[in-house]
Amino acid sequence: MAPVLRADRVSKSFGPVEVLSDVVLSLDPGEVHAVIGENGAGKSTLMRVLSGHLPPTKGGLVLDGEPVTLSGPVDAEHRGIVLIHQEILLADDLTIAQNLFLGREVRRGPFVDDAAMRRRAAEALAELGSTLAPDTLVRRLSIAERQFVQIARALLVPHRVVIFDEPTAVLTPIEADKLFAVIRRLRASGTAVLYISHRLPEVKAIADRVTVLRDGRLVATREIAGLEPIEMARLMVGRDMSKLYPEKPPLAGGDPVLAVRDARVPGFVDGVSFSLRRGEILGFGGLVGAGRTELFEGLMGLRPFSGAVEVDGRAMRFRDAAQAFAAGVAYVSEDRKGRGLLLGQSLRANLTLAALDRFTRGPIIDVGAEERALSGAIREFDIRARRPDLLASQLSGGNQQKLLLAKIMLLEPRIVIIDEPTRGVDIGTKEQIYRFIAGLSAQGRSVVVISSEMPELIGLCHRVLVMRNGGLAGEVGGADLTEDAIVFLATGVHEDDAARIAAGRSTHGAAPRAGHA
Amino acid sequence: MKKTIGLGLAALALSAGAALAQQKSVTVAVSIPAATHGWTGGVVYHAEETAKLLEKGYPGLKVIVKTSPNGAAQANALEDLMTQKVDALVVLPFNSDELTNPVREVKKRGTFITVVDRGLKDPAIQDVYVAGNNPEFGRVAGKYFVDNLKSGNVVVFRGIPTVIDEERVSNFEKALEGSGVKVIDKQYANWNRDDAFRVMQDFLQKHPKIDAVWASDDDMALGVMEAIRQSKREDVKFVLGGAGMKEMIKRVMDGDKMIPADVSYPPSMISTAMGVTAAHFYSNAPMRGTYVLNAQLITKENAKEHYFPNSPF
Amino acid sequence: MTDTALATAPARRWTMPDLTALSPFIALAALLLLGALVSDRFLTYDNLVNVATRSAFIAIIAVGATFVIASAGLDLSVGSMAALVAGVMIFVMNAVGAPGAATPGFLAALSGIVGTSPTGALVAGVGIALILSVLCGLANGLVVTYGRIEPFIVTLGTMGIFRALIVWLAAGGTITMRSFELREAYRPVYFGTLLGIPIPIVVFLAVALVGAVVLYKTAFGRHIVALGSNEDVARYSGVPIDRVRILAYAIQGLCVGIAVLVYVPRLGSATPTTGLLWELQAITAVVIGGTALKGGTGRIWGTVVGAVILELVANIMVLSSLVSEYLVGAVQGAIIIVAMLVQRSLQRRR
Repeated sequence: MAPVLRADRVSKSFGPVEVLSDVVLSLDPGEVHAVIGENGAGKSTLMRVLSGHLPPTKGGLVLDGEPVTLSGPVDAEHRGIVLIHQEILLADDLTIAQNLFLGREVRRGPFVDDAAMRRRAAEALAELGSTLAPDTLVRRLSIAERQFVQIARALLVPHRVVIFDEPTAVLTPIEADKLFAVIRRLRASGTAVLYISHRLPEVKAIADRVTVLRDGRLVATREIAGLEPIEMARLMVGRDMSKLYPEKPPLAGGDPVLAVRDARVPGFVDGVSFSLRRGEILGFGGLVGAGRTELFEGLMGLRPFSGAVEVDGRAMRFRDAAQAFAAGVAYVSEDRKGRGLLLGQSLRANLTLAALDRFTRGPIIDVGAEERALSGAIREFDIRARRPDLLASQLSGGNQQKLLLAKIMLLEPRIVIIDEPTRGVDIGTKEQIYRFIAGLSAQGRSVVVISSEMPELIGLCHRVLVMRNGGLAGEVGGADLTEDAIVFLATGVHEDDAARIAAGRSTHGAAPRAGHA
Repeated sequence: MKKTIGLGLAALALSAGAALAQQKSVTVAVSIPAATHGWTGGVVYHAEETAKLLEKGYPGLKVIVKTSPNGAAQANALEDLMTQKVDALVVLPFNSDELTNPVREVKKRGTFITVVDRGLKDPAIQDVYVAGNNPEFGRVAGKYFVDNLKSGNVVVFRGIPTVIDEERVSNFEKALEGSGVKVIDKQYANWNRDDAFRVMQDFLQKHPKIDAVWASDDDMALGVMEAIRQSKREDVKFVLGGAGMKEMIKRVMDGDKMIPADVSYPPSMISTAMGVTAAHFYSNAPMRGTYVLNAQLITKENAKEHYFPNSPF
Repeated sequence: MTDTALATAPARRWTMPDLTALSPFIALAALLLLGALVSDRFLTYDNLVNVATRSAFIAIIAVGATFVIASAGLDLSVGSMAALVAGVMIFVMNAVGAPGAATPGFLAALSGIVGTSPTGALVAGVGIALILSVLCGLANGLVVTYGRIEPFIVTLGTMGIFRALIVWLAAGGTITMRSFELREAYRPVYFGTLLGIPIPIVVFLAVALVGAVVLYKTAFGRHIVALGSNEDVARYSGVPIDRVRILAYAIQGLCVGIAVLVYVPRLGSATPTTGLLWELQAITAVVIGGTALKGGTGRIWGTVVGAVILELVANIMVLSSLVSEYLVGAVQGAIIIVAMLVQRSLQRRR
């Protein structure tokens, strides 16, 4: 079959820097083609060239065998090339239907035809297997639901090529499963799907072919058959990745450093108790919305909270983050951009913000000491910044995450709570972060890891607590630490079923859970 | 019918004698702007003083004084006043456009209407109109320059762009025509001291010789004086303000060389209006028509009549 | 990719000039040039000193506004606050300098402590002006912070309250320094010089210098910027955001107080129109200076230049005879917009 869209030796330079060189990629109708690579490998640049956001510096695009120049994303959409953004680009205060038709409202005479838009929105949502009401305000939706709305919006226009940019980054396994059903439907209808992801098991489950980029160059394009995630990782990183997770440091006994009894966060957490030992890496699993993040934000004094908290056997009550820091407890937010870093500020200002009183002489900040701390952090955490005077927003996701970890570590906390430590981070950086977490444990610090990635919890943690609907569903550890066990606790769904969901292989034989309209 | 009368409480004196016989009950409402500017502050002061005086002089008379911070609030205040039984309304409207209709509504109830200073769009509404004379204000000032300066360079300070300001300035310039007095520059300074100060500083930089200043307002004159003092320039012979602020009248009385005179535009015109209105009910001759308070030149000789040390203005 | 090239290079000072920070100065230079072309009296020492001196009040207030705006707040009450503080200050000086039967007990007692000499009255007036202005600022900050109300609304409310209080205090008229002696003793604070520089300029440079040190060099300044940049990040980083926010408004209040100390000796009086629209001028100066209204940046020196630019534009308009007085406002507005366009185009190039 002739490819519908082909990138013909595409190169892209920004100034003197070539970020994409000589990349060849062809998309066939009815295939799911995954593009994988580390952060900075050129995936997003390639995606933006294909969707008309960026013109290539050299080479060109071929659509249906004809060379084509896309004048912009609107032109690309007219030609049937649709990009689904990773960031949620919706107006919070409009309804789902209003968002779907924003800028292309259905009109009757001079007026918008709300009824027609509502009806068509309901159809579009149902096609995606969603039961959301079209009149719901987007503000009230979870992140996953918003993403479905965004996908529905993109697919409203006639499409032949659909590009997904890391669509599952914020989705739980069940939600991801629904998405895969949508993608398979697109494939069945002859649409070409370009799928960009960090999650290699997912790629294995959904893709027909895989193209690997590294440092802006094409490494290989392979059929999925016989290509295992471990090999994909090797191709991406350029070295053997079979040892992604470090050895778990041995766990010394002793009294708990942190004990929480009957923790409650109104509306989110309802009576959770647990304890954390010295040097322990304690995982918190569960679905998005199970109350894990809220539990620890409450503990840190960032939300209304009730319950008994003991640090080193002494009762504590943190009214704000500063008090928690003073007690040696620090929290790294899952929301790097919204709650972790000041994107518009320099790396230096970000690094020292939480521990600023360690960098002052009297009231005056010692900039020299800050600069030294930044050089140290760049070295120690391998933060890759073109220049040290960049703004935080100019770093890649992985490097932002390392900066955030460096910032929190300046507080020298004894208990580190890390929420989604590797969200939106490439595999090379993941490995570094895992080693860093294991290192904390080896130093005798205690770590809480909140993660939606089960391999991460299993590979990293001594023990995993699973939350469901604001309560503790159970604990798994040692030999029982398996994906099946975690998923069962997180969802309450029968184990066989859950296992299929976890592996993203739900559709073999069985009817897709997402259903069809 | 157009009567020209002198000043202030003259109207009151005229009608007080008539306040003899019949015991009756009359309510007069007075609606004026709140004291947000020196001049309106003076209006409020005179209205309150006159209310006391009239109530003492006319048995059975009740005067209600209401101040409002802006035009819309004044329209509301008028509606509120009408819920009480009011025989006459004395109103100094914020502006003509906004208040013409609200006052018309009051008139429809048979209330006697006296309008002060700023006229309404429809003159048929009013029974009595008491006004300052803005063209005359400019003419008197212009004449003073012609008589006393004879020839020389003058800078002019304008207020806020309004009809009042335009009438004053154009008649000032008309009065200068054919004389040796020349307007070399004019700028708006918003009837504001600080603005007048900065404009005068700039005028002094720009013009090497300024013989006199028409500040056209006493507040602005004070700012102008301070700028002249700072520059240590000797060429400016005098500054003529306007309105009759007590500090300025005092200087005229004391024979200050820089402030030899002032032009009246008295806030006490509200007193005249209230006096005329009361007289309508208590004297036998009905009072109707337009009363124009002529702008008067205040000099050392007559300054005493214009000096109200207790007024805030 | 290229990220790695300099990954671990030692922290290096990059000398490429930041055009955003420079742009107000470029606009200032352009205006000076324009002024020189339009009037030969423009580039005289006296004229430039007059303009710089006149810009002192707005500049000092705008330094405070830079703190509030950098923290993503807004204070619309500064003009009214200035009028109120000026009125109270004169009232206190009158009462303390010549206590009479009508003098409130508190001021009579104060008069007993500091004495009725001009110096005593001045000390009392200055002290009370500064205390009152900080209290006004604190009131704004406390309501914004603990009431969780938009600063726009809160300060619009206090703007009305402060304005009404001065109107009430002045009974619609003018509050004037009654003692001639005191007036003459205090007058040099506006008209006098220190080492040849007019005192208001000295004061506003000093305020700007202290402001710059606090904003750029202290932990508090860093916290202001963090708060304005992203409140959540600041909170999650342990920044005491409530305290920082309240202090920003208090600093604004203090700056208003200092501006009043320089303002009062000029004309020796306060009226209900004192400080009218100063809040807009201060905000304009801040924005011309390169501080974004959305918060997260603060450019003290840009703000100072912005205040001077505003005053210069008015000065050029009066000095030139090109425009009829009816159109002065339009040309002023146009010049400010052009200055902002120049600045934004420089920013985009970065």
